Amino acid sequence: MRAFAFEGGFVPPSTADFNLPPAFGNSEFTTKPILLVFLSVILISVFFILSSRKAAVVPSKLQFAGELVYGFVRNDLGKEIIGAEFMRFVPLLFSLFTFILTNNIFGIVPLLQFPAMSHVSFPYVLAAFPFIAFHYVGIKKQGLGHYLKGIAFMPGVPKAVYILLTPIEIATFFLVRPLTLSLRLFANMFAGHLLLLVFIMGGDHLIKGVIGLKLVAPFSFTLGIVMTFFEFMVQCLQAYIFTLLSALYIAGALSDEH
Amino acid sequence: MARSNEEGAMWSIFGYLLSGLLVWGGIGAAIDHWVMHRNHWFMLVGFLLGMGASLYLVWLRFVKE
Repeated sequence: MRAFAFEGGFVPPSTADFNLPPAFGNSEFTTKPILLVFLSVILISVFFILSSRKAAVVPSKLQFAGELVYGFVRNDLGKEIIGAEFMRFVPLLFSLFTFILTNNIFGIVPLLQFPAMSHVSFPYVLAAFPFIAFHYVGIKKQGLGHYLKGIAFMPGVPKAVYILLTPIEIATFFLVRPLTLSLRLFANMFAGHLLLLVFIMGGDHLIKGVIGLKLVAPFSFTLGIVMTFFEFMVQCLQAYIFTLLSALYIAGALSDEH
Repeated sequence: MARSNEEGAMWSIFGYLLSGLLVWGGIGAAIDHWVMHRNHWFMLVGFLLGMGASLYLVWLRFVKE
């Protein structure tokens, strides 16, 4: 896109805006997304250690906030969906939810303002955890042969139809599930960040233009602010959906018949 | 419970439809590429077949039960 920008014209935000230079030093490991990921881990740890350290029957405000998040993941995502054995999976779901939520919200926190999940490698790695977890759980619970048979062969179908259905089932379980899990998160964060860039950078460009353009600039900035609130909603929703689907996949692997 | 189950069902259905298209459309495209060389009729057939098969699968999984 940058090649088309002529002298003094508006340079639209592009994928190049996502490849940030190293924040310090000259290493690939000191770029903003990576530092933000480390920051998120520190913030999450500090928050939950502080909120659970002096646990009391009558909770403080901090403990209440911590328990609210934990209770939400434990009850609404773990207990409701996975059922009897949910306690084993709460640590996984809780880590996924808080980590994704914090990193997503970094996208609209002033000065940080970059969602690490808009680099596709982070969601890929994150999707690997529930992917390994639900296959492992399924194989352990049902045995390898029975588990694969449950995936590939739907009961109550004429034998000839398996030729059509089995490849779809296998592709769904081994390819499409981890792929959609990660790409949905990536695409939402990428598009959201790009949207904010368009409105803010566009407003910035308009306000430097002639008087007519200056008058329109506030609208661009206003929409930028509106979109920031919209992004906050999307960011929470994506963290929720990622965890929800992980729980559903685990629940599916635990139940005998698919 | 109902709300999150609906959400999950929606994405499972989406996954099935997508993989139906990918698998059978992909097989059709491969036949076009390696056997037919010129036109894309097998890819079209593959897409339709995949769509039909995955709709059938969705019906089996979510409607029949």
